[in-house]
Amino acid sequence: MPELEFNEEDVLTRASQGDRDAFGLLYERYIDRIFNYVYYRTGNLHDAEDLTARVFQRAMNHIKNYTDRGVPFSAWLYRIAHNLVANWHRDRSRRQEIPIHDVPVLPSKGDHPEKNLVRSQEQDALLRLIRRLPGERQNLLILKFVENMSNAEIGAIMGRSEGAVKSLYHRTLLALRDQLGDQSINLDGE
Amino acid sequence: MARSKSTLSEDQVIALEAHLAGVLTRVVPPIEVVQRLREQIRFPQSKEIVLRLRDWQRMFFVFSGVMSGLLVIITIARALYYFVARKHM
Repeated sequence: MPELEFNEEDVLTRASQGDRDAFGLLYERYIDRIFNYVYYRTGNLHDAEDLTARVFQRAMNHIKNYTDRGVPFSAWLYRIAHNLVANWHRDRSRRQEIPIHDVPVLPSKGDHPEKNLVRSQEQDALLRLIRRLPGERQNLLILKFVENMSNAEIGAIMGRSEGAVKSLYHRTLLALRDQLGDQSINLDGE
Repeated sequence: MARSKSTLSEDQVIALEAHLAGVLTRVVPPIEVVQRLREQIRFPQSKEIVLRLRDWQRMFFVFSGVMSGLLVIITIARALYYFVARKHM
């Protein structure tokens, strides 16, 4: 459906009245974003699929309770995803985690299909560092870089003020700089 | 690059952001994954169907709805039969 024809408010009203087709439109619109978020938080394609399905199942079951109080629908979906990912991490804390470099690399948006999908060692190291950060810092980086969201939008999802997000981002960059230095990854460029 | 404990130079921020932007790119979910998820959304899962059948209130309304509908149809049929039969008398 073209963007111009998509009236989210109308679609949300219909979806909250049990219209599955309307919910299908919301699904089509947000599947990529939620999948990306879950994929980067789990580093695991199989679990990303399973959790994404659960996010939409839960959203469909509770959409009647969704009321627009200045928080966009996307923020509501991300919060569901965040809670499910947090539970997933809790459940898996006793089990061994799949290292991100063992996970197949998915093509990025805009990539040529024949592009060689291999991460450099440096990128692998950085991904591992990101995945070792506390959950909220990972959320922040994913929303900022994968979703290209502003601090205000991230704040709406994380339930923080814009200033708090900015400060958290600064602390996250500091932590990454120090850890990258420890791993001898060059920050000065070529 | 000179490192200060709690501050980041503009160059460091730019370099870090460039690294992050290179790693955290938007991925495309495999088409079969999207398709499987779409099917799960469109069609209720078997668990959901079982739950619906176990919901006695829902079943009561469905059953009473069907019975009421049948009663209305029978009443209309009887009325029509009565009027048609009277005409032929």
